[in-house]
Amino acid sequence: MDQQGLTRINTAWALFQGLLIEALPFLLIGVLISALARWLAPGGRWLRRLPAHPLLGPLSGAALGFALPACECGNVPVARRMLVGGAPLGTALGFLFAAPVLNPIVIASTWAAFPAQPWLLLARPIGAVLVALALSLLLRLIPEERLLQADVLAERQLNQPLSAVNLLQRRSGLVGIAATTATVQQESRQPMSRPPLQEVLSHGGREFMQLALLLVAGCVLAALVQTVLPRQWLLDLGSSPTGSILALMALSVVISVCSSVDAFLALSFAAQVTPGALLAFLLLGPVIDLKLAGLLGLLLRPRGLMLASVGAGLSVLLISQWINLWLL
Amino acid sequence: MAAVKSHALQAVALALWGLVLLRSSIDGRLDLLLRGVFHPLVSIAGLLLLVWAILLVLPLQGRRSKTAAPVVAEALTPRHWQSLVATALIAVLLIGLPPNPSFADLAQRRPGDDSSEAELAFVLPPAQRSLTDWVRLLRTQSDPRLYVGDPVRISGFVLPRNDGPPLLARLLVRCCLADGTPIGLPVRWPAGNPLPKADQWLQITGSMAVQQGLDGEELVVIPQRISVIPRPRRPLEP
Repeated sequence: MDQQGLTRINTAWALFQGLLIEALPFLLIGVLISALARWLAPGGRWLRRLPAHPLLGPLSGAALGFALPACECGNVPVARRMLVGGAPLGTALGFLFAAPVLNPIVIASTWAAFPAQPWLLLARPIGAVLVALALSLLLRLIPEERLLQADVLAERQLNQPLSAVNLLQRRSGLVGIAATTATVQQESRQPMSRPPLQEVLSHGGREFMQLALLLVAGCVLAALVQTVLPRQWLLDLGSSPTGSILALMALSVVISVCSSVDAFLALSFAAQVTPGALLAFLLLGPVIDLKLAGLLGLLLRPRGLMLASVGAGLSVLLISQWINLWLL
Repeated sequence: MAAVKSHALQAVALALWGLVLLRSSIDGRLDLLLRGVFHPLVSIAGLLLLVWAILLVLPLQGRRSKTAAPVVAEALTPRHWQSLVATALIAVLLIGLPPNPSFADLAQRRPGDDSSEAELAFVLPPAQRSLTDWVRLLRTQSDPRLYVGDPVRISGFVLPRNDGPPLLARLLVRCCLADGTPIGLPVRWPAGNPLPKADQWLQITGSMAVQQGLDGEELVVIPQRISVIPRPRRPLEP
């Protein structure tokens, strides 16, 4: 291998380490919030009281972002806890897709990066809610059995009332096969009792390990693509209003940077792109990027992940086009 | 016994992740990878993971001595071992292979930083300005003639470019190396000498002058002294 190849591998390795080491603490925060919720509110009764209305559900899920400030990596374990706890699907999805933007840290960083552009301070959270609403409505078209991963679904059905899920679907109790994990069995026997701390630690540890390995895969992919693809190409593609939006959407997927700091990164090329493209960068990255793809795959089956990616892309494109029409 | 083993395996994996983060905090690699504000977060996360691992293992000692104590049943599956092996492999690679990025390679594949500060809080005397200070000052007061003859003492890495001699550059990082964007100043390299190598870190003492660039007049550093320096401990600029 020539010197340039070695140099590029070294750079890719450093990019990978940067992405991974920056994301791991946020992932840990998310897992800790999830474990705490499991310990404090076993069975997740409060989750099932969240609204299931097609519009109010995602809106209330999005609003939870203000209470649980974490970036997109940390949101995945919290959204998983909501899903397995029996929260209405739309509410959990609303949280998953909107909370990475709709939290105080991200709003403050957007304001700090763009103090002279108040429209962006409004457009980003409103856009994030609209994208989350669109995705929640879109993903409801797929039955839960085909949308959610098998282990999430099994645990979720145990935490849902029999009026919503029959015994065969619960796969435990009087009819059906035994539940897949001991954790699930224990929850089915004692849905209201607080689990022992040791069991919560073990469950959380397992979740962290699983998510960390998926995060590694996402970071490898993001680092390789960043090393191979010159970023200037993407910006050069975006000279037209629509082209600039598409280019910045692609850039946000590739860069895979945390939502709490992406506004500062956008500042570095804000003058080169249209306002709609700037908003597209700030809206799409927190919903889907290369680093997140593996983590989301823990919740959603490939079909759901594909639909969410396409739906997010289209809704961000529409919102950003409208912004360009308004501001250009 | 299976439950005990599965807890122990989990504890080892969590401890490995904790060690990776703590080792990164200690060996200085964070200065190469992340913006400073994130460093404490990485150290705290590493400590938390180690404590978590210890909490998982500690009660096992008690359980071994008091066999009557209930142990959460959990099957020890090949998946546990696969996760542990994968985690261990990644941890060994991360600890054993520290990052050694080429800033020039990275910067050549990135567009330059184009952000403009509305105003600078204060302006340092010319000889005390870093390369980043100069670039930011030029954005607020873009007339290069204002600075002709000012003394310069800056350091940075050599960034080759296609349309002219190399720049002396720095990487601005908002979060981690992945979002690094280059900024640079043109330098009138001494005639007759070979151009410096890409990625070489230099300290230049000299003065400012004006030259005709591609987009009109631009500020250029006229070196009086060029020294090769090792990469600084904190090479990234916020």
